[in-house]
Amino acid sequence: MMTDEIRALIGREVTYTAPEPLGRAAIRYFALAVGDHNPVYTDDAAARAAGHDGVIAPPTLICETNQYAGLPADADGYAGHTWGIELPGTRQVRGGNAYEFHRAVRPDDVVTATWRLRDIAERTTGAGQPMLVFTSRATYTNQDGDLLATNEETIIYLGVTP
Amino acid sequence: MKPGLELPPLERRIALPDMIAYAGATWDWHRLHYDPVYLAPRGLDLPVVDGQVFGALLAEQVQDWIGAAGVLRTLKFRFKQLVYAGETVRCVGTVTAVDGGLVTIEHQVLAGDRVAVAPASSTVELR
Repeated sequence: MMTDEIRALIGREVTYTAPEPLGRAAIRYFALAVGDHNPVYTDDAAARAAGHDGVIAPPTLICETNQYAGLPADADGYAGHTWGIELPGTRQVRGGNAYEFHRAVRPDDVVTATWRLRDIAERTTGAGQPMLVFTSRATYTNQDGDLLATNEETIIYLGVTP
Repeated sequence: MKPGLELPPLERRIALPDMIAYAGATWDWHRLHYDPVYLAPRGLDLPVVDGQVFGALLAEQVQDWIGAAGVLRTLKFRFKQLVYAGETVRCVGTVTAVDGGLVTIEHQVLAGDRVAVAPASSTVELR
């Protein structure tokens, strides 16, 4: 499955900066959608009592949202970062994520996400199916250059038997 | 606080309206999560829950447990099996290491008798 053309993609990097601060509504909407009723996401007084300046975002929000990307939805309806790679004869599945949280994200943070394609590895499934494992890492910072979080994501392209 | 301690499990039913809300809240409108026209030719009877939400649920489980006594520092998880609209998931977790001020927790997300997410782990820095 691996070709020189695919291997040449390793090291590719792209940066997105949100057109506006994250915002209190985005935080409240996310907490509501997940069903997380922790008051530090919606109530300034509760957030202050927990040692913050005001409401904060749930830690995984910036790793899960595409709000910063400003991309149009593709044919599948997806509007987040991709490497734009088409691999005929494969099926794409999510492998997993690894997050590091450096500091609580606040409504006035303007998020910049820098995605880097760190590795592409050719492997074989237990059933003998070939696959390519793409490992990317997003680094999220704010308008002051503060490191907010990182997100290492694994996407697997499984070879489909013709 | 010592290895072997079990966190209170977090259980949540994820119905289609919840999935629509999550798709909106994360700006991720992938049709896999709601569109029967997209699902049928792919052999899927029900919309697939966006796996990213399990990260949010694991973070919620840890933070509800540790409260003001600690801060969630890392969270990692691998997807094993799909979860479908209307299923109830159960996040479980056990403390596996306490090293100075750092607590490591091993998690799983279960959907009925299926393992949806594993291995998964988090670390908490104690205040």
